[in-house]
Amino acid sequence: MLRIASCLAVCVVLFGACIAPAAPPAAEPERVLLSLLISGDPTDDAAYQALADAFTAANPDVRVELLNIPSAGDFRRRLAADFAAGTPPDLFLINYRRYGPFVAGGAIEPVGPYLARSERIDAVEFYPQALDAFTWQDTLMCLPQNVSSPVVYYNKRLFDAAALAYPADDWTWDDFVATARALTADLDGDGVVDQYGLGIEPSIVRAAPFLWMNGGDVVDDPERPTKLALDSPAARDALAWFTGLQTEQHVVPDAVAEAAESSVSRFLRGGLGMFVDSRRATPEFRQIDSFDWDVAPLPAGKARASILHADAWCMAATGAHKDAAWRFVEFANTRAGQELLARSGRTVPSRIDVAESPAFLDPQAQPANSQVFLAAIPAMRSLPKLATWLDVESAIDAELEQAFYGQITLDEAIQAATERSAEFFP
Amino acid sequence: MISRRTAAPPTGPALERARPRAADRRQAPRGRRPAAGRVLWHLAAIGVTALFLLPLLWMVVASLQPAGMPPARTLTAFPYGVAWANYAEIFRVIPLARQLGNSLLVSSMGAGVTLLTASWAGFAMAQMPPAIRRRLVALALFLLLVPASAVWLPRYIFFAELHLIDTYVALVAPAVMGSKSLFVLMYYWTFRRVSGELFESAWLDGAGAWSSWRRIALPLAAPTTLAVAVLAFSHYWSDFVDPLLFLKSASRFTVTVGLRMLQQMDQTHWPLLLAAITVAIAPVIALYLFLQSVLRGDADIVRRSLRILDRDSEER
Amino acid sequence: MNAFRFSWPGRVPASRSPLARYRRQLWLLLAPFLAGALLLIGLPALLTFGLAFTRYDALTPPVWSGWANFAAILQREVFWIAARNTLVFAGAAALLQVLGALGLALLLHPARRGVHLYRGGVYLTTILPDVAYALIWLWLFNPLYGPVNLVLGGIGLPQPAWLIDPATALPSLIAMAAFRVGEGMLLLIAARQALPAAYYQAAMLDGAGRWAIFRHITWPLLVPWLLLLFVRDIVVAAHSTFTAVYIMTGGGPGYATTLLPYLVFEEAFSHLRIGQAAAMLTLLFAAIALFVWFVYRRLGAWGYADDL
Repeated sequence: MLRIASCLAVCVVLFGACIAPAAPPAAEPERVLLSLLISGDPTDDAAYQALADAFTAANPDVRVELLNIPSAGDFRRRLAADFAAGTPPDLFLINYRRYGPFVAGGAIEPVGPYLARSERIDAVEFYPQALDAFTWQDTLMCLPQNVSSPVVYYNKRLFDAAALAYPADDWTWDDFVATARALTADLDGDGVVDQYGLGIEPSIVRAAPFLWMNGGDVVDDPERPTKLALDSPAARDALAWFTGLQTEQHVVPDAVAEAAESSVSRFLRGGLGMFVDSRRATPEFRQIDSFDWDVAPLPAGKARASILHADAWCMAATGAHKDAAWRFVEFANTRAGQELLARSGRTVPSRIDVAESPAFLDPQAQPANSQVFLAAIPAMRSLPKLATWLDVESAIDAELEQAFYGQITLDEAIQAATERSAEFFP
Repeated sequence: MISRRTAAPPTGPALERARPRAADRRQAPRGRRPAAGRVLWHLAAIGVTALFLLPLLWMVVASLQPAGMPPARTLTAFPYGVAWANYAEIFRVIPLARQLGNSLLVSSMGAGVTLLTASWAGFAMAQMPPAIRRRLVALALFLLLVPASAVWLPRYIFFAELHLIDTYVALVAPAVMGSKSLFVLMYYWTFRRVSGELFESAWLDGAGAWSSWRRIALPLAAPTTLAVAVLAFSHYWSDFVDPLLFLKSASRFTVTVGLRMLQQMDQTHWPLLLAAITVAIAPVIALYLFLQSVLRGDADIVRRSLRILDRDSEER
Repeated sequence: MNAFRFSWPGRVPASRSPLARYRRQLWLLLAPFLAGALLLIGLPALLTFGLAFTRYDALTPPVWSGWANFAAILQREVFWIAARNTLVFAGAAALLQVLGALGLALLLHPARRGVHLYRGGVYLTTILPDVAYALIWLWLFNPLYGPVNLVLGGIGLPQPAWLIDPATALPSLIAMAAFRVGEGMLLLIAARQALPAAYYQAAMLDGAGRWAIFRHITWPLLVPWLLLLFVRDIVVAAHSTFTAVYIMTGGGPGYATTLLPYLVFEEAFSHLRIGQAAAMLTLLFAAIALFVWFVYRRLGAWGYADDL
């Protein structure tokens, strides 16, 4: 009996040992395997895979291995671990708010010189706002693929049911609140709200445009920040209005309701009137078939403002296939390459010609009013470029979330955020 | 398969006598109790057990709710009917079958190697001179104190140097040292219970350490082997941080990482997630029930270890 | 007593004697364990300890920085919050686990019909994978739709927001940990069954009540085991909270459930402050080792467990 068992054990071990190391299939010597790390919704996979396939079709000597890690946090940790181990991906797609540590650590191969040499693409073809966000000490580090910004996704059926007009392009904060109130309802009369007017993430990225619209700012000096400036009257008022959406107006799900069912889920099943998100939500929302939806601009305050959401292709400085990696970046940012991603709904293209083409604006593809994303670009701002920016952001968000859900007061939150983020400023 | 009776080798009548099972039963206080007391005891025991099992039962019930319905606000079992389709759906949403297969491979490899290395180490430790033995036990206990988080990053760098990232070797590498030093100690305690004369006479007959381990020690330790096998298998099946760190290709993910993937896809689609959890924990529970039925669910192994502790402290 | 004590007559050189050969074979069998312990735990832990004295961001080579990391983390409020949370969590969870295990052991130690069904049922929660266990409880604790609050609401009790409310988030994690008492229960059942029946018979002849028997016989004899279990549970609780926090709360709301293993993971892998993370780990390990050493000495004084 035991003999059999030990034989089995040995077999399993040997068998496993044969399978486990599973070295990449022996490639022909001249074939390059390019690893590509992205962080998107699972619905994005198909679009990026199509891009990779198209690239391989045009460049038979390069095979692209795509890895998608949906959670932004997990993505960053994987990237850090890979760099630490000296096995970074050849290419990765990362947001400008999160790439600071990698740039500061010299881990990124600047694409500026490559772009200058390229015969297929040119810097003037891109929105300067996007290029600027990835320019570190006058060098373009990564090549942006998109120039997205937050907009208001809204459920047309709920607007119709409440006999509300669809949001106008020049609507104001007050219109916004009134609309959200009208859409918040206790449908079955059991004393529990089961349809909320608005879903918005309680984070500084979402709040920042409203601070700017009100004449405030997140930090004291956007170019050379030394501390938070959330306690200035203009910034504080905007934050009070922002957190008041939940604590006073109750048009946003409270902490309990949000934990029970996330705003995204509510919107997807038709139980949420409006939802603030970037272009990132579009591919998933395109799968909705029970109601029609569209996008509207952020409501205007004293001034217009929006915030850039951009991801860029970055090459690892220690990558073994930098030439092939650049060829991929170049390909992805040609007109044809960007059109591929734009049609999937995932991106607001960073190329001006693609952004203004039907690949992005096609009124047949939801959202019908994609023009909203382009209209936001002139008033678009970015968060400070700081190696430790992510630390600052998490310090703010930890407090802002509690203030948003009424667990602490706004002033407590501002004070704690200011103190706890102080060590991360130069 | 391996019943306790058949597992006892012919050489072990003394051992069988030393096995304190019957004696222990008698030691339990056996006052005459009225039937009412017994019923009360059963009620209390059932209540307590239910408290531990209800979450699992609820999980299965909730995993059968049809998808796309607003979550129920009542405790009614099936307000919208029973959706067995969820269990088919999860295999479509994530590559669950593949992940289960991966987990099975990793866990079998891990458990298989662990059985060898842990029993070798336990066997050798038990026969070392007292001074060395004590140091080795201290080492084994000390290893249990090292926080798992302290080895994450260095191990990552180590495995990357050896090009083992994204292979299962990185996951099952700890099996070389018996996975957890607890498993080594379990064998050590078992072999310490065996009379030294047994190994001594085998040695005088010319048996080497290897054949002594294979012919005498292993058959004696069959129940321990079974317990370690199940525990080691569950250990690798449950492992989450290692696959999270060391695996890259989605096609190699194990089932725990798959659960995390599913959770991230849609935080609030509970029926599907709970169905996936049910599938993921079923093998562990089945193995455990198997172990329980073989070992008769009593605290045999733990009790035997205790006996050694007692005896050792008496020795001094 | 089990070890080979017999000596070999000195006719052959000691190194070539059969006994020495046998010893060498034993060391060979032990080799994988020792090598693995060295390569997979010993050296990595030492490396971590070394990194605690460097500035290291994983991108550029580490730079020696002396005690700077320790000075830095001791000044960070978040570190102290996490340290306090870890202490509260480990202490409370271990206490509840020990008491729960004791209660279960006292209830389920008699060898009666069906008793191993009950023991098995209780033990089941202990063997579930951490990820599955955390996800199940995430759902149980769902403030609106979770069974816990539905039951509480059904019998008219207040329904806390559990993981959502900073005041109840950490207690929720403690409550969840308190249900994993299977191993402790088995240990205490074994310990209880090992107590001499004669004591109980004598006490019953003297007409002692249940409480008196517990107070004067069971409790004093079990105390060393309870302490041992308590130490083990504290160590396990301090180490193994990562998965639950990672899956269930991400350290929030605010920093209410930020425990040290999670903070270390975040510092190292999200913020690339590996030196500081290593310093935190070093402090955590030192605290645990000190605690264990202290209890070990106390237990040793009772004559228990000095040679496991």
